Amino acid sequence: MLLTAAAGLLTLAACSNNPYPSADEDRKILYTSFQEAPRTLDPAVAYTTSSSVITGNVFDTLLEYHYRKRPYELIPGLARQVPEGRANADGTVNYRFELRAGVEFHEDPCFPPNAALGGRRTRHVTSADIAFQLMRIADPAINSPVRSNFSQVVGFAAFSKRLAEKRKLDPSFDGRPADAQYAEVGGIAGIRTPERNTLEIVLTHADPKILYWFAMPFTTPLPKETVAYYDGNQGRARLADHPIGTGPFILTIYEKQFRMILDRNPHWWGLADSKAPAVVLPVEGDPEDVSSGTIDKAYLGRPAPFLSRVEFRREREGIPRFNKFLQGYYDYGGIIKESFDAVIQNDRLSPLMRARGMRLDKSVEPSIFYIGFNMDDPTVGRAGGERSRKLRQAMSLVIDVKQYLELFLNGRGVPAQSLLPPGLYGYNRDYRNPFRKVDIDKARGLLKEAGYAGGIDPATGQPLRLTFDTGNTTTAGKLQYQFFINAWRQLGLDVELAATNYNQFQDKVRKGSYQIFTWGWIADYPDPENFLFLLQGAKARSNGNGPNTANFKDPDYDRLYDAMKNRTNDAERGRIIAEMLKILERRRPWIELYHREAYELSHGWLKNAKPTGLFSTPFKYLDVDATARAKSRLAWNQPVVWPAYVLLILAFAAIAPGIVTFYRERQ
Amino acid sequence: MLAYLVRRISYGALTVLGVLFLLFILFFAITNPDDIARKALGEKAGPDVIAQWKTNHGYDRPLLFNNRTGVSGLAHLTDTLLFEHYRRMLTFDFGRSDADDAPIAQRILEGAGPSLSLTVPLFVLGLIVGVTLALFVAFFRETYIDWIVLVGCMLAMSVAILLYIIGGQYLIGMQLKWFPISGYDPNPAVVARFLALPVLVGVVSGFGADTRFYRTVFVEETGKDYVRTARAKGCGEIRVMVRHVLRNALIPILTNIVMAIPFLFTGALLLESFFGIPGLGSLTVEAIQGNDFSTLRTMVYIGALAFIIGQILTDISYTVADPRIRLS
Amino acid sequence: MVGYIISNIAVVALLIGFVVVARAIRSSRMWSDAARNLWRRRPFAIVFVGVFVVIALLDSVAWISAPAAMAGVGDQVAASKPRSIIDRLFAPETFRETSYSAPLADLGFYDKQRLSYPGAHLLGTDILGNDVLYRTFKGVRVALLIGGLTSLIVIPIALAFGISAGYFGGRIDDGVFFVMTVLASVPSLLLLIALIMVLGTGTLQVCVALGVTSWVSFCRITRGETLKIREAEYIQSAKALGVSDWRIIQRHVLPNLIHLVVITFALLFTGLVLSETILSYLGVGVQGSWGQMIDQARDELSRTPVIWWNIAGASVALFTLVLCVNLIADALRDITDPRTRREQS
Repeated sequence: MLLTAAAGLLTLAACSNNPYPSADEDRKILYTSFQEAPRTLDPAVAYTTSSSVITGNVFDTLLEYHYRKRPYELIPGLARQVPEGRANADGTVNYRFELRAGVEFHEDPCFPPNAALGGRRTRHVTSADIAFQLMRIADPAINSPVRSNFSQVVGFAAFSKRLAEKRKLDPSFDGRPADAQYAEVGGIAGIRTPERNTLEIVLTHADPKILYWFAMPFTTPLPKETVAYYDGNQGRARLADHPIGTGPFILTIYEKQFRMILDRNPHWWGLADSKAPAVVLPVEGDPEDVSSGTIDKAYLGRPAPFLSRVEFRREREGIPRFNKFLQGYYDYGGIIKESFDAVIQNDRLSPLMRARGMRLDKSVEPSIFYIGFNMDDPTVGRAGGERSRKLRQAMSLVIDVKQYLELFLNGRGVPAQSLLPPGLYGYNRDYRNPFRKVDIDKARGLLKEAGYAGGIDPATGQPLRLTFDTGNTTTAGKLQYQFFINAWRQLGLDVELAATNYNQFQDKVRKGSYQIFTWGWIADYPDPENFLFLLQGAKARSNGNGPNTANFKDPDYDRLYDAMKNRTNDAERGRIIAEMLKILERRRPWIELYHREAYELSHGWLKNAKPTGLFSTPFKYLDVDATARAKSRLAWNQPVVWPAYVLLILAFAAIAPGIVTFYRERQ
Repeated sequence: MLAYLVRRISYGALTVLGVLFLLFILFFAITNPDDIARKALGEKAGPDVIAQWKTNHGYDRPLLFNNRTGVSGLAHLTDTLLFEHYRRMLTFDFGRSDADDAPIAQRILEGAGPSLSLTVPLFVLGLIVGVTLALFVAFFRETYIDWIVLVGCMLAMSVAILLYIIGGQYLIGMQLKWFPISGYDPNPAVVARFLALPVLVGVVSGFGADTRFYRTVFVEETGKDYVRTARAKGCGEIRVMVRHVLRNALIPILTNIVMAIPFLFTGALLLESFFGIPGLGSLTVEAIQGNDFSTLRTMVYIGALAFIIGQILTDISYTVADPRIRLS
Repeated sequence: MVGYIISNIAVVALLIGFVVVARAIRSSRMWSDAARNLWRRRPFAIVFVGVFVVIALLDSVAWISAPAAMAGVGDQVAASKPRSIIDRLFAPETFRETSYSAPLADLGFYDKQRLSYPGAHLLGTDILGNDVLYRTFKGVRVALLIGGLTSLIVIPIALAFGISAGYFGGRIDDGVFFVMTVLASVPSLLLLIALIMVLGTGTLQVCVALGVTSWVSFCRITRGETLKIREAEYIQSAKALGVSDWRIIQRHVLPNLIHLVVITFALLFTGLVLSETILSYLGVGVQGSWGQMIDQARDELSRTPVIWWNIAGASVALFTLVLCVNLIADALRDITDPRTRREQS
């Protein structure tokens, strides 16, 4: 019965493992996957990679990152030019953006029909829309995670305070539309809109890094109509699920648990201005792109977008996702370590993969992963003085990052000598950290000097007991920590793994009851300050939840940090950074492990997919050859039908004699 | 009869209150509002952002007892998270998810479809396979067919369900390429493709125990006197099995079925998780992993309600069907 | 540290207990007949389970060697920790490689370097170079603990509650029934995860958590059976004669439940060991269990070429143990079922 059912199901399902409708075979649709649904698509709040694939393509920003140039460069997006800061007499600095004319929002029922635009439900963008979004970031009720990054805008914090006070005094005030509330409270002093298409930002001091924030969706123009309309009442969606932007793609289907669909925007401003820097696939850039085939030569200088649609499907588990990629049902994706050896041999694509026309793109992400010591801890931290410093140095000398990368990441990482990744100012490729190589004898010597000869703690006569705290209880995670523990065991140190669930781990971190841990950081923007601030004393975790999880407090380091933080990239800045790295080298609050490398696999029919690292892939530059894809899919996915017949025959053969015997017996 | 009904229902209500309490205590033993906030806002959120989130979501109250300044009288007990918990659950005010502020009621409606499209075929198919196989085996009892099937069931029972899932995905999805490894699409033209593998895995992993159970019931029935009488009368064996044995063995089978109905809704947690089916089961698993207390308590509450209602119905149907049971 | 001393004492206690039970069985006609019957029907299953038990016992007896005896061993830290007989047999501190190697291979699986112990790893090595056969053997103790210890926790509790509820009825019955229903209403997986998160992931804590979620079904059976027994005539007359309740339970109720206990123990055992694999998938499994090996190996199956020895070792061991216990439970049910006993006599 089971087998007939199976056979029935087989024929019923028209026996194919293709998850997409056959009608879509020849359309220019990009297929990819997502693991976690975005928590929110509100541009003031969305801060994770899962949401930025959508927000990065639905929203346009004043500035954008150049697609092909590395190190990263900013180009004008909605703005006509990248502004220069102009200093004022009182020490404040102005940035003036000139907005393009004629940019429309996506058509949506939240707008009234617009006679000037042929009765369509949309309108033009003005600088007031950007000012509105910036005020939303300042709005304490919205709780934007990047609110503090705009604190150098004149009047930003004051605006938040006035808004909160007005709401507390007058409960009915909060019922009014958001833009009315902001206007009532007087707006932000440092954000001005002198003309319809001009935006002026005034900062309290020079800070060129602020321009990077204008390349992120946080500062996209957001129409007040959308905010007012999409409040979740009377069957309307919430703003977090209904983003309206000006971008080349529109979010048409958003079923968070299993698919998201971006459709091409037929009224995108770029279609009318095919020479703008943000529309054209750049001719300039890393020549490797073209020679390796990542960027198709035929597309250079052509105006985007090329795709008609992008479809995301939910894949919770990595193995099925990768297998679907191999079957041709996803156009690109990362590689999982389990399938690595089938795909990569001798650091290049395997012959089997190359025969299928696939491409491999490697890029170093601007990130750092490290083992940290809690400097507040008495044994490993600053209280132990020189003794614990030598202990940290010794522990730093036995971690073989190369082997770790081989075992757990298939070598997809660059061993880190300092916390600055390649591509950032201050990164020196010839710099060698004396404590980031494997030298067991030197480590043993240091331990002896520290009074822990052979790893034995003189106080107990037993090997020194340390704890490695982590919030990751998965088997895979524990194996990685075991690797480090085995390395320290060589010195005779007894490091115990204290793996709890994530909440309990966070509790431990908050209370300061942790000793050794691992952590990572991925850059927000391409400035070394975005890494060096991780060890600033004021940002210590014990002070109040800052990102300095090692609780490193060094007054020299802090002094140097303040000196370099807002400088432009000149020789003096480079010198200061080198000095800061020297301090970290000696005091070892971290054991720097690696900068992650992204290996992106893509099929031959996918064009122009260059790894971006710092920003989400702009789908406008990508294209697919749908006919080639359909052909390959068919060739790679012929179902193997013969086992079904074999099973049926076997089943029949097993039962038939029994039935025959029984009936014979009955006569 | 009415008195019995009233007692059973009030008993069920008491149980629901108990379940809610247990849930509250357990959850807040593992986590606390700060952790829920942090999971929702992400790692980089500062303390003021977290505090604001807690106020927005009503988590800035104490857990069990409120002895802050300015609180008096009954508010000591009512201005607490526990009271809010009870109030909202008992008025079916499910509210919004802690993870992303989506209305939970809507989520449940969205997830019910995929869950049911998995669990109902799984259940029905499992039932058919189990009963038919057991009937078949009871028919051929004590022959070598009986022995083969029983051994097969024993072997099937001894394999961990995880191995079935992994093996099934590897063998059927990857090597034979009959069905997609995972995923889901509600489009009726293709939905069967995605459900085939999880249903198959579910049936294969469960038929062993089911068949043995039903077989025991059938064999017990066939040993009874009326069957011997029927045979002596000259009824064909098949007629005996289907007409008499199956009918009378139906009572314990039906009890099994009614007991299983509530679980149809809560979804097959593991299968949904592995095969990427966006149903209520995977909603629950995500709520656990994502520290989403609002969603989790709603799911458990509904599950408990369904279970208790199912129990009451079973008791009543049992009493109605079998007059020998005393209503003490 | 103290853990290994408790473990040693427990082994001694177990051995003594085994001797006591064996003698009790020998003295009772019914039970020795049943035992002989069982041996006749399922000799292989019993032998296999016996082998597992011996391995687990060997792994439970541990002591700390003097540091002098461990001098020269690469891993000095291990010298200060208690090591069991299995640990000493396999010497995992030295008997290891850098990374993966196939069973009985001479070269590493990926780096193709000559192994430190070519041809000596019967089941190959895992990602960190540990011998897979060693890990499988270590998993035996964990599995038997999870199955056995939890059952030992569950059965007395379920018996106590079930008998009280069934025998005394009234308020006690209501109370026990209430607790049972509340626990049964919460999906057991959720309850399990919640409890383990609260208690921690040590073996004992997981056993307690599993115990809390598993006692309800046996309690229900016990309660039902006790209700039936209570109505029997000889019980009624004993009560009329003034025999104390405790005596009645001890002499009449309990013995009639023993066969249920034995069967439930076996069934519970297999159910618990199998559900531990699910816990490992969810990240709350016990350290060193087969479930963890399977979870780890889950990814290895997708490699090309496939790394199969990790999952093979754990799966075969798990399957064998569960199958043998299932077979024994089946045979026991047939032997001790009052109806079949009546038919046989």
